[in-house]
Amino acid sequence: MSLDAIPIHVINTPPGESGLTGNAPPLLRELLEQVRRLLATGEPSAIDLSALPLTPADLDWLREKLGAGEISVTLQANGESTLNETGCPGVWWVTHHNEQGAVTSQFIEVTFVPELVKAHPQDVAIGQEQLELMISEL
Amino acid sequence: MQGPLIDTLARQGISRRTFLKYCATLASMMALPPTAGRAMAEAMAAARRPSVIWLPFQECTGCTESITRSHSPTIEGMIFDMISLDYQETLMAAAGHQAEEARQNAMKENAGKYLLIVDGSIPLGQDGAYSCIGGRSNVDMLKEAAAGAAAVIAVGSCASFGGIPKANPNPTGAVSVSDLVKDKPIVNIPGCPPIPVVMTGVLAHYLTFGSLPELDDKGRPKSFFGDTIHDRCYRRPFYDQGKFAKTFDDEGARQGWCLFELGCKGPVTHNACATVKWNGGTSWPVESGHGCLGCSEPDFWDGGSFYKALSAPADPLKFAAAAAVVGAGAGVAVSVANRVKKSAAKATHEPITLADLEK
Repeated sequence: MSLDAIPIHVINTPPGESGLTGNAPPLLRELLEQVRRLLATGEPSAIDLSALPLTPADLDWLREKLGAGEISVTLQANGESTLNETGCPGVWWVTHHNEQGAVTSQFIEVTFVPELVKAHPQDVAIGQEQLELMISEL
Repeated sequence: MQGPLIDTLARQGISRRTFLKYCATLASMMALPPTAGRAMAEAMAAARRPSVIWLPFQECTGCTESITRSHSPTIEGMIFDMISLDYQETLMAAAGHQAEEARQNAMKENAGKYLLIVDGSIPLGQDGAYSCIGGRSNVDMLKEAAAGAAAVIAVGSCASFGGIPKANPNPTGAVSVSDLVKDKPIVNIPGCPPIPVVMTGVLAHYLTFGSLPELDDKGRPKSFFGDTIHDRCYRRPFYDQGKFAKTFDDEGARQGWCLFELGCKGPVTHNACATVKWNGGTSWPVESGHGCLGCSEPDFWDGGSFYKALSAPADPLKFAAAAAVVGAGAGVAVSVANRVKKSAAKATHEPITLADLEK
């Protein structure tokens, strides 16, 4: 029996078939609108990437277009989260992973500083208590 | 006995940012605006835990399995710690009279305020004798528990719509919760099993807003069941481009094209699998190459072959012609008529055949 009789085909992406769906480019226009709003009113916004029909190729395309900025924040909380500013200041690519390393949600946030990066006043108050305790024990 | 949620979380070593991150993901899954995560975290952090009674009826425990084996148990488990689960046969340490007493006490102490979770359908045949707990029929227990509940959450397709026990010919006379309980708000969370986070999401919504989420015409939370699988499917662009897998091992299947022609029920199934996925976001049926079975829709088990394309009409001529050939071989006209009848019966409840698979 020749190998041809076994119906298994080698997968090669045919030329012109890159996995792009055309769903990514309109997001750039939405981002432009959100950046305008941020500048005009200070109102932050976000695009929930996990809720959109985007292929991995679409996401790569988008990431490549937006580029990398100067700031990368890594958060270790129940798995790693990365909050990276893109080449467009104020546009952040936010990826949340679970403890197994799988992506749980992914956003593009349009904001001066992502909420997660800021410390909560209640937590700052706890920090203050710790400092006071430290000083009292000197 | 318990303070606000955030204090309990902090005691268990869960930081605020961990909780915020969880809320961001949950908000995303609940189709809330991405910025709602923060507001949700604020409200939930301050929430206090409600009493929950969970009654299992005619069911396979798959729903409990799904929820207790969610892949990221840390936080979702925490949310479950945040409710006071006063009765759950599978999970509780108590058994027998002690367990039933716990149920009675919880119902008495929290009358009018507790949440009632039900999984499994309720058999009405033989006066409900098909399924009893502690000598009492399911229908009896449901009516008693629902009377004092603030709301009822029907978990799984069986509790929501009758599910597999109700499948033709429904030997036990199984019905859904909403067939019996008419005077309480009911949330249906169908699925066979339902997605764990949908369950947590409804509880989170209750803790956050103090109310039940907005429901669709089948009593399902719109935030998770508002779109069809097809609407949110990552293979949708291939459907739009007319690229379909024709068999499970052809070039199209390998390229990840649309599974519509292989019987995917995604276009008529409302659920969140396409966005939330399964096993902690690892994958979901369509991603692993199999069409959606439509398990979160009413009577999905009786909807015909899982491998028959939705728009392809059942073709009576095909069955009649096949029967005619067999009949001619037998040479008896009556047998032809009988076989046609048999085929017609078959068409209403189609078994999966090799031909279906290779279509």
